Amino acid sequence: MFNNSNILEPLFWIIMGGLYTVFIIGLAMWLKDMKVKMNWWKWSLTLLWFILLSITVAGGFTLIGENELRAGLLFMAVPGAVIIVAGVALGRFLLRNTNEEKDN
Amino acid sequence: MDKINRRKFIKSAGLAGGALSLAGVAGAGYSAGADKDSFTGYGRTAYGEDQFFNRKPFLVDKPTYVQEGEPVRITSIEDIFKRNGELSRLMFSRNGDQPAWKPSDGLDALPGYLRAYYQANPGAFDEFIKAMQKGREQRTNWDKYRDKYFIADAWSNAHSSPIRGRSSFPAEPQGKPEESDFRGVNKKRLKLKSPRHGSELLKKICYSFGASLAGIAKVKKEWVYQGSLRGIGRVDYEVPSHWKYAVVIAVPHEWDSMYANPTYGTSYDAYSKLRFIAGKMEVFIKELGYSARPHVPPTSYDLVMPPLAIDAGMGEQGRNGILITPELGANTRLAAITTDMPLEPDKPIDIGVSKFCKKCRICAEECPGGAISFKDTPGEVIRGYRRWKIDQNKCFTVWNSVATSHARGCRVCLSVCPYSRKNNWIHNFAREADPRDPTGLLASGLLAMQKKFFTYPGGQEYLPPPDGNNRTFGEAPGWLRTEEWFDL
Ligand code: SF4
Ligand code: SF4
Repeated sequence: MFNNSNILEPLFWIIMGGLYTVFIIGLAMWLKDMKVKMNWWKWSLTLLWFILLSITVAGGFTLIGENELRAGLLFMAVPGAVIIVAGVALGRFLLRNTNEEKDN
Repeated sequence: MDKINRRKFIKSAGLAGGALSLAGVAGAGYSAGADKDSFTGYGRTAYGEDQFFNRKPFLVDKPTYVQEGEPVRITSIEDIFKRNGELSRLMFSRNGDQPAWKPSDGLDALPGYLRAYYQANPGAFDEFIKAMQKGREQRTNWDKYRDKYFIADAWSNAHSSPIRGRSSFPAEPQGKPEESDFRGVNKKRLKLKSPRHGSELLKKICYSFGASLAGIAKVKKEWVYQGSLRGIGRVDYEVPSHWKYAVVIAVPHEWDSMYANPTYGTSYDAYSKLRFIAGKMEVFIKELGYSARPHVPPTSYDLVMPPLAIDAGMGEQGRNGILITPELGANTRLAAITTDMPLEPDKPIDIGVSKFCKKCRICAEECPGGAISFKDTPGEVIRGYRRWKIDQNKCFTVWNSVATSHARGCRVCLSVCPYSRKNNWIHNFAREADPRDPTGLLASGLLAMQKKFFTYPGGQEYLPPPDGNNRTFGEAPGWLRTEEWFDL
């Protein structure tokens, strides 16, 4: 982010680490309040999905930074659409289990 | 209540953290893409860090070019620049004499060795005449384009200045190689610990002089030109026994101008750098007590560079006929120093370029001259090797057609090649993952994205009107655009 600053660059990644931690703690609370039972593989799938989303966003903006606006937008739109659909499917899957539990 | 509020707060902070971290990766991605320091080379490191790709997993015993039949040395007349050099000596008078030949005299009036070439290569003579005609149009039209490309032309001319004339560096060899390559060699030699030490030392010195890539190859006789030898002239000769090894070096063109080919880029930036590095290497090796002979661009070579560089483990040949290296892609320019210093040669590599080029064809689609093959596989066996071959004559016609002050090149096939990319995370993923994927699926996926997502102007568009629209592959950088600095 701040490639030529050896003060701001590490600071940026420390802040990013903080943001990810807050995000995961917040997400855990959301899921708990929604009565979603998580185990290791459900967490792995959820985090993998978020990592893929992050990589797609980073990839798209990397290409935009390289002056390839069209390629960057398409990079986010095409794999991005697949990831969003996968995210919706994953969300439904996680929530369906809770609904089944509620029905029982 | 407090607890509920705290819980709500953490949940909201979690949402905000997720959104901000996505914004953060977007920013980090943008900055990785825009960072000029992720262009490889151009003197950023004196310690070999530009050669960042780990070649070890891809070392092979045999190079990826395919031998079919008995290798034959290339005659100098088969090289367009050496051939054109001979023609220009005939066409342009020295010391006010009448020119010995002019195109209107026709093929029959050419000396036998040139006539024989053109008779064996039907169409080449007509293409040469077309290139001359285009060259005249190019010079006439330059008035129209001069202002637009004023800085680019000045920049190119500045780069070519150390190459022109008698004072060029390194000086051309004079006399037999057995004399000129040993001229100035230090009589006092120290005992080298081993050939491996020799190779490592010379590579480190190459980097310290500004080389981005360096490799060592054993000189194969089939890579040595026949029919003309620098320092002697037109002669058939045996490969000198002291041309045992070649230290091969590579640098890229300045990247932003290279992407803005054909009109904003130049070949001379890389050429002049290579000449300084190779010339200094000649002196260094001679100081160590061994013979040395630099082979440098644009035309001062006694050896053909790409196969030598393949042997030196630097890369593989692409469909565009150019060496493709993992670090620089097709933006790789080469020079070499032949020597009798005991060295350990590097092994060739296989990073899948030959396979990728069979599917890709981007350079063929973008070449303004139709000089690059569209075939599925390298179709021709040339002097004992099956390989991609570009039509040099058609290529040279494009040099004489684009909107530059003189025929100073095209290089579109360097710019458009998907291997010519930055040293940043996204391209490094492709660099590292593609050669490790035995299924080829990743390569197909990357290629599909390359073709669908990126904008390619299309072959003819790079030419001036009426054939095209003077398009460039990438946008010209501000520092090369006249309108940014001068009132037009
Ligand atoms: S330099 Fe230009 S004309 Fe020559 S092969 Fe490459 S793209 Fe074609
Ligand atoms: S543009 Fe494609 S086909 Fe041409 S050299 Fe590069 S990878 Fe090979």
